[in-house]
Amino acid sequence: MNPESVISELRDTTLKALDAAATLEALETIRVDALGRKGKLAEVSKTFGKLAPEERKSLGILLNAAKQELESGLDSRKSALESVALDARLASEWFDLTTPAPGIRPGHLHPVTQVQREIEDLFVSLGFAIMDGPEVEQEYYNFDALNIPADHPARDMQDTFWLKDGRLLRTHTSPVQIRALEKLGAPLKMIAPGRVFRNEEVDPSHEHTFYQLEGMMVDRDVSVAHLIYFMKTLLSAIFHREVTVRLRPGFFPFVEPGFELDIQCLICAGKGCPVCKQSGWVELLPCGLVHPAVLRSGGLDPDEWNGFAFGLGLTRLAMMRYAIDDIRLFASGDLRFLNQF
Amino acid sequence: MKFSYNWLRDMVKGLDASPEVLERLITIKTAECEGIEVHGADFIIEVDNKSLTHRPDLWGHFGMAREVSAITGQPLRDPVMPQNFTAKNPPVKVSIDDYSLCPRYSALAFDNVTVKPSPSWLQQRLEAVGLNPINNIVDVTNFVMAELAQPMHAFDADKLHDGPIQVRTAAQGEIIEALNGESYELDPSALVIADPKGAIAIAGIIGGAGSAISEKTTRLVLESANFNAAHIRKTSSKIRLRTDASMRFEKAQDPVNTVRALERAYELLLEVSPGIRMVGGLADAYRPPKEPAPIVLPLDWLARKLGRSLPAEEVQRILEALMFKVERIDAGTLSVFVPTWRATKDVAIKEDLVEEIGRMVGYASILPTAPLAAATVPAPSVERVFHHSVRDAAVGQGFTEVYNYSFLSEELAQRFSLDPDAHIRVTNPIVADQNLMRTSLLPGIWKNIVDNTRHFDSFRLFEIGREVHPDREVPHFVAAIFAKDDGVAGLHELKRLAECLLPGSESRPSPGARKFEHPQRATDLLHAGTLFGRLFEFHPRMIEHGRAAVLDIDLQALMQLRSSNVKYQQLRRFPSSSFDLSVVAGPRALIADVQAAMKTLAGEALVSIEFLRDFTLPTGDRSVSYRLTAGAPDRTMSAEEVTSVRNAVIEGMRAAGYELRV
Ligand SMILES: [Zn+2]
Repeated sequence: MNPESVISELRDTTLKALDAAATLEALETIRVDALGRKGKLAEVSKTFGKLAPEERKSLGILLNAAKQELESGLDSRKSALESVALDARLASEWFDLTTPAPGIRPGHLHPVTQVQREIEDLFVSLGFAIMDGPEVEQEYYNFDALNIPADHPARDMQDTFWLKDGRLLRTHTSPVQIRALEKLGAPLKMIAPGRVFRNEEVDPSHEHTFYQLEGMMVDRDVSVAHLIYFMKTLLSAIFHREVTVRLRPGFFPFVEPGFELDIQCLICAGKGCPVCKQSGWVELLPCGLVHPAVLRSGGLDPDEWNGFAFGLGLTRLAMMRYAIDDIRLFASGDLRFLNQF
Repeated sequence: MKFSYNWLRDMVKGLDASPEVLERLITIKTAECEGIEVHGADFIIEVDNKSLTHRPDLWGHFGMAREVSAITGQPLRDPVMPQNFTAKNPPVKVSIDDYSLCPRYSALAFDNVTVKPSPSWLQQRLEAVGLNPINNIVDVTNFVMAELAQPMHAFDADKLHDGPIQVRTAAQGEIIEALNGESYELDPSALVIADPKGAIAIAGIIGGAGSAISEKTTRLVLESANFNAAHIRKTSSKIRLRTDASMRFEKAQDPVNTVRALERAYELLLEVSPGIRMVGGLADAYRPPKEPAPIVLPLDWLARKLGRSLPAEEVQRILEALMFKVERIDAGTLSVFVPTWRATKDVAIKEDLVEEIGRMVGYASILPTAPLAAATVPAPSVERVFHHSVRDAAVGQGFTEVYNYSFLSEELAQRFSLDPDAHIRVTNPIVADQNLMRTSLLPGIWKNIVDNTRHFDSFRLFEIGREVHPDREVPHFVAAIFAKDDGVAGLHELKRLAECLLPGSESRPSPGARKFEHPQRATDLLHAGTLFGRLFEFHPRMIEHGRAAVLDIDLQALMQLRSSNVKYQQLRRFPSSSFDLSVVAGPRALIADVQAAMKTLAGEALVSIEFLRDFTLPTGDRSVSYRLTAGAPDRTMSAEEVTSVRNAVIEGMRAAGYELRV
């Protein structure tokens, strides 16, 4: 057989073998057999030494062409086999991603904590400091310093838990007004969230323990217009929407003038329900201009300083935010309730 | 306080606002209304008493009629016809011991009295505002009170002993049988009305039974007096008796009103007891209080307070509608005279006038304005931020936040090894046994666990709250894990939580677990020798069908420990070498002790020691494995040096009685 026929036959049989190879291993065997250093093509080239240079040259071209053809055939067959293998692996790795993930689920912050933090962040961004005061409070800070002397009938407005040692459980966060003025002086912008206590019978809308957030701003020039501005800013941020509010006279001895800021009940949209005592309005915010007697208690001259103050009911706010119709759930410790937030 | 719509209409000429409109106007301008009730042909507007605390004049219909007239601009009709009683020939002699306690005592006397049921119009008016009709005489006194806010009292003159009426403090132990059938023992802190034989009324609060009006009464003495507000309030709370009279007096009534009330009552008595005759003139013991100076109101100050300016004419018009007298001092300043019924305590300073003007002009008319305040960095709230970070850590690890009450029963305190006498006690608890202030959050958490086991097989919860001790309030963090297993996982999880909150914290089992703790599963938590918390499992007696692990951390201590300064240590420039060692320890040996011993033995060359695992051998002993890393800051340790460290640890541990598996 002449060398041309040997090369072309070798090429044809190898290409056939490549097509028939079913695994990468078989492919490798074929490669070594045909293209390896001691493979069949190498064998053929060894016989070229005896030939004339012209003949050797043309055979060399022929050999190279066959080699390239086989290599590319090998590559394409190899990638075809690899892709089949990958497909098979992928097909075997099916995983049901609807399976619940193992491990602990995050817990839940108390709804009052969530509301409180949101409002704290809001006020901190407005330059307010966050202050705190004791839950067991002296009569002086809870009443006298706030322009509520011992014989003042306003003391009846807040049913007080009295303690055997003569102190009391703070009935509001307002004592922090005095403590903050004593500590930081004026000008002052502060809020004071915290737990307060009233000796009240418990029902769906009354609790003896609840949460307030006191706010106070004292500066040279503070007006009712400023107060309204702050309250509007605050409420639109809290409720993320327009809410209907109204201001009306309210009596609190530590402010003059004093207001009740009402918000239209979000549970019943003003139609009347147990939370709003069927009135359609919920008292949200007692507020007013700081009474001169309170400024004096805080060591300030009322001719030089003015201020506004407000008390936000955090518990009530959480009830409105989440449409909770029973205030007693907050202290129930019931995870069926708390895990909803 | 109940206000009759028809009664108000009698006093405001041409009032055309419907009850609903009127209710809204009163709420927006004056005081909070709580609703309207239909009563026959009348409508009763209920006003929240709390919002009348500072308004003595609004405890009668005429006071509210004044407000309505000022709000609507419709003219006011005064129900009182001046009678010009003569002060000559007073029917009784009145002596007042202390005019600061009783600024005024006025009285009339009548004979030829007929006691019978009131006419129906009078009964209906009283019933409409929640007062029970009794007889024509008593009904007149109640009617005048409901109309003019002036409490009155009628005595049967035949049951009084001859002599002067004295207003004096009670004798120690003086007893009076009151109209309500109760008997009150008084002391000198109370004021009484007395005849020569003894007390006939507790001043301003209730009359005595002995001189009560009865069907047989034919002669009467009609009292209309004024008392010190604080004093009435003190006596009323001391004897635990609040009456329609005391509620009004404690708001500081206007002494000018006593005679007006007698004038009104006189007219009514003529109508309801035909043939009645007044005996003598007016008895009137009165020391008028010093007339208060007018309030100087600068209009630019007013504008700065309200945040809007108002022309002098409008301010004057508003104040005059509310019956203040106004004089112009100059173009920018008013002099304001307060009417007597607003002057007793309600309106005294210029800030009070801001409210009067603001509410009448309407707060909705004030344009919200951003304050011109300097931008300042607020004082940092370190504790608040820290508490929130603890909350976040707990929530991230699956704990849900609970809030518990601050109250505790003595029984529960004892169950939690707390001495009831070391607690602040509540004088007037909401429930008799909830009378201690909690000095631990554990009882509340325990109750949460027990309650939630009814609904869940496993759960995690936590609370941040204050322990309230007599001398301090300490914020605590308590977390709990409940599961129906052997409890080990829960304890480990909580220990891990403690380490997340305070890296480098250690546990040290303390002998003498408290009785609610599992005696073999309780440990103190320390950091650099400072105690900051406790980790334990509840005693099986405390929790049925499951186990609860609890972590209790003093947040004050934790915050201080956490804020200790962190200083950067230069990274090691030379490689270190590690080797593993397994130590066999006794069944109840503490791993912490094993680790501490190895640490000491490795000495300065130790870079780190890492716990790998422990398991129980068939013998019951435990095999504990550690990876130790040794190195030097200034060079690479030679293999010989590392081996010598390893040998020192091995030999040392053997000398200490541990077996080593090498
Ligand atoms: Zn509602």
